[in-house]
Amino acid sequence: MASNAAVPFWRAAGMTYITYSNICANLVRNCLKEPYKTDALSREKVHFSISKWTDGKPEKPSFCSVFIRSLHLPDMVANL
Amino acid sequence: MAMAMAALRREGRRFAPMISPRPITALRSSPLAPSLEDECPIGVRYISTQVVRNRMKSVKNIQKITKAMKMVAASKLRAIQTKAENSRGLWQPFTALLGDLPSANVKKNVVVTISSDKGLCGGINSTSVKISKGLHKLNSGPEKETKYVILGEKAKAQLVRDSKKDIELIITELQKNPLNYTQVSVLADEILKNVEYDALRIVFNKFHSVVSFVPTVSTVLSPEIVEREAESGGKLGDLDSYEVEGGETKGEILQNLAEFQFSCVMFNAVLENACSEQGARMSAMDSSSRNAGDMLDRLTLTYNRTRQASITTELIEIISGASALEG
Repeated sequence: MASNAAVPFWRAAGMTYITYSNICANLVRNCLKEPYKTDALSREKVHFSISKWTDGKPEKPSFCSVFIRSLHLPDMVANL
Repeated sequence: MAMAMAALRREGRRFAPMISPRPITALRSSPLAPSLEDECPIGVRYISTQVVRNRMKSVKNIQKITKAMKMVAASKLRAIQTKAENSRGLWQPFTALLGDLPSANVKKNVVVTISSDKGLCGGINSTSVKISKGLHKLNSGPEKETKYVILGEKAKAQLVRDSKKDIELIITELQKNPLNYTQVSVLADEILKNVEYDALRIVFNKFHSVVSFVPTVSTVLSPEIVEREAESGGKLGDLDSYEVEGGETKGEILQNLAEFQFSCVMFNAVLENACSEQGARMSAMDSSSRNAGDMLDRLTLTYNRTRQASITTELIEIISGASALEG
């Protein structure tokens, strides 16, 4: 599956390795059977509030409550 | 009889100077002198123990609350400690491969300070902030700059006061859900995307045991700096002796490794800091309960002394009244 191109496809799409491995992990977690699936998916919850500061002034804080599911990638891959 | 009464009166007067200099009785009036606060009707001379009793009640409540907080912190610590110990295996291979170079001389330093959101946890947040400021000072000079990325409310409160210009990102509300790798890795991703860095220095409190939390700094270098350090030999110089499988070049692998290393080190750091926070809160609440217990003992002594003095005073009045009647 390793491409022979100069950069792997996900790097060319602007993703970091971390995002790539998180998506792969999410796909693996979705392959589990119940009840392990709900346990594993509960370990995937993300919530924090991030605020960028410029020149000593904060900008409005934004919440990051994202599940990787929201990227709809598992459906895309399933349709390949 | 007169001599006995005089002796008793002297006893009563002796109580006043003994009690008033005591630090716990921040009661401005000593309990022996009925003052305006006591609201005694005219003509009645009695000593009110109400003030001391109120204070005893509130100190007892505080003791109960701090004991409960200690139990809660102990149970949370147990839950998170296994996670932290398991996460140590994530970054150890990285240190074995790439080494930990805190002395790397780089242009763009980013100090990631990890602290807690909630207070009442002793001095761990202050030590983290002190070390971050020390790193900032150490790494400032011509052509070098240091920026802060802050995790947690407590470090934010302290660093906003004097290092406003150097702050890049502030992240809070990290512990709403139980800590997991996905959350920390998304966080690490955000940091990597938003901040230019040559070296990331992560400041956190490493959890050695329930009573010892050591502030530590973990360094993660960017791939370019790793290449530069590899040329100067040492551990990184051996990187070329590794075989690279697949179709990737060494530069790509180093970039992937650097990102993953940062994510793993952050995960471990956040977990260890959470453990240290709970441990510090346990010991802080424990000493607070003990202090409350001591305070309660001293207040009980004062209360008893006051009560006995008031009984003695009443007796004196009754006896002197009776003896005055007799002639």
